[in-house]
Amino acid sequence: MGRQTSNTHKPGHPVRRPPGMSTAAGLTRGPWRWWQRDVAPAGGLAIQAAARVAVRVPVRRDPQTRRNCRNVTPMSSQLWRAVAVYRIVTLVYAAVWILRDETYYAHPLGGFLALIFMTVWTFVTVAAYSRPPGRKGWLIAADVAVAAILIISTKWIDTAYRINHGAPTIPVIWVASAILACAVAGGPWVGMAGAVVVWFGDVIERQQFLTESMIAGLVLLLVAGGVGGYVVRLTLRAEAAVDRAARREAAIAERERIARGIHDSVLQVLALVSSRGREIGGEAAELGLLAAAQESALRSLVSRDSAEPDTETGMVDVRSLVEPLSDGRVTISCPATPVMLPRPVARALSGATSAALDNIRRHAGGSARGWVLVENDGAGVRISIRDDGQGFPPGRLTAAASTGRLGVSHSIIGRIREVGGTATVTSRPGQGTEVELHVADP
Amino acid sequence: MSPTPDGQVRVLVVDDHPIWRDAAARSLTEAGFRVAGTAGDGAQALRVAAATRPDVVLLDLNLPDYPGAEVTRRLLAALPSVRVLMLSASGERQDVLDAVTAGASGYLLKSAEVRDLVDAVRATASGHAVFTPGLAGLVLGEYRRLAQSTAGQGAAAAPGASLTAGSATAPQLTERETEILRLVAKGLTYPQIAERLTLSPRTVQNHVQNTLSKLQLHNKAQLVRYALESGVD
Repeated sequence: MGRQTSNTHKPGHPVRRPPGMSTAAGLTRGPWRWWQRDVAPAGGLAIQAAARVAVRVPVRRDPQTRRNCRNVTPMSSQLWRAVAVYRIVTLVYAAVWILRDETYYAHPLGGFLALIFMTVWTFVTVAAYSRPPGRKGWLIAADVAVAAILIISTKWIDTAYRINHGAPTIPVIWVASAILACAVAGGPWVGMAGAVVVWFGDVIERQQFLTESMIAGLVLLLVAGGVGGYVVRLTLRAEAAVDRAARREAAIAERERIARGIHDSVLQVLALVSSRGREIGGEAAELGLLAAAQESALRSLVSRDSAEPDTETGMVDVRSLVEPLSDGRVTISCPATPVMLPRPVARALSGATSAALDNIRRHAGGSARGWVLVENDGAGVRISIRDDGQGFPPGRLTAAASTGRLGVSHSIIGRIREVGGTATVTSRPGQGTEVELHVADP
Repeated sequence: MSPTPDGQVRVLVVDDHPIWRDAAARSLTEAGFRVAGTAGDGAQALRVAAATRPDVVLLDLNLPDYPGAEVTRRLLAALPSVRVLMLSASGERQDVLDAVTAGASGYLLKSAEVRDLVDAVRATASGHAVFTPGLAGLVLGEYRRLAQSTAGQGAAAAPGASLTAGSATAPQLTERETEILRLVAKGLTYPQIAERLTLSPRTVQNHVQNTLSKLQLHNKAQLVRYALESGVD
């Protein structure tokens, strides 16, 4: 029916689609496949479009799981980009070392060849990892192997003297990029497995096993692989959680939008029945009264604001407590913006208002109507309750209290005084009663 | 009051619910108004209004295409002399307030009795504001909100330029206007208020009208200011 659009979608406020929400048509559009080429003839665009409209079936698999298997969430792309940046920066670092030390090498040409190979490998992996299909398991394994082999190659390129005196390996910290690739692709365990492989390369190169410096190196590599992988996993999980929350929120908003439309239609019909019924009279008038009562109840339900207190401040919107008190005879007027008060104060005010309205029903006469005005007057909150009933002569309230009938004095005035506010009751015979409650801002 | 030679007030009824639209049109015809046309959405309302030039537009707040405030603004831009009376089933407060500050001269719940509706259309046609207690509460709250927000701005931008100072001042209610609006919100009729304050009903009517005009003027100024600030010259 579409009438609800005016409530939720105002011009100038474009509807934001949460991440991951796309149209069903968009999801069915899979990757381009060569064997489908001859299916699309020259004039095939219209046919494709028609097919896309007709086949609005969701994809065979849940898009969420499909995306996670391929590791193609926006966040994972960011992580792969970070690995690429690290790899390039460390390549430059390794190049500086090689160019500085090559004169001391046993085989300077070997050093150059290793640098060229590292450069080529860096470009191959950066290009391959930049797209999800390139993040293959065997390529990542090869990445780790290349790192280990480059470390071992130090044994032939550099002199034994330098190696024994702690000279760095040929690729220096460039090898950690392979470990990070393992971590991003497979989490902490895969990251640590990569770290161990690289470390064994180190073991072979230095011909040392569990010496102090080797253990320190192992720990550093394990930390890089394990912590890196752990952080990656946490990040991807957080991303998935945010994604899910956004979907849920969108679903709730959609449901509310539909509910508003339905409520509005029901209100229209109830309003019409009540006004026409009263016009026609007789039995129809009774039906009209019933419809009016339901209409009022539904309206206060629809426009009701959350009565939940704000968890941070413990404040609650007084309007949300007072509004449910309206019915066919009682009109509630409020500002359009929230009127916040501490919860106990707000409850005292609404309790006193409710008591005053009960008084109207009991004492003001059968046809009396009531009005409630909620105001935020800058210094505090004021609630006025007025009726157009018969009223009472001055002095009757104190007389009632002294004979033990505590109604008004206790339930209204007492309640408000307890929270530090004031309440006044004024009435003249024939002119109705007016109760005014006021509490200062905290 | 009316451009037609026979002295009838011409009304355009805009509502997307056919049952309600027809019922309202029938009630108005029975009460002696001339229904100049009907429309089911905002765009249609603008077209029909341009063609028929009604005196009063009876406008549903929840139309499928535009918010009530937007339709009101466009109607008044196209036909400055037209008067808009808003009707709403749900009484969404912010929507009502938006429509009224956009220039609607009154607001009524759809559950109002036919007699009230007819009276409201008549009052609107003769240039009076149609205030329900609920609307009075909203207008009071809006003045308060404006006073508070400009007080906050003033404190924040105390050494600010005098250029913005003029346009940032919020409209204020006089003491008398506040008093009258509060009485309207408490359900008193204009004659009752006049009696209580020993004023003439006409004066009460003028005060109420004033509170609305000031808000509408302020809203218009805000729109112009916003347009200038965002570079729409």
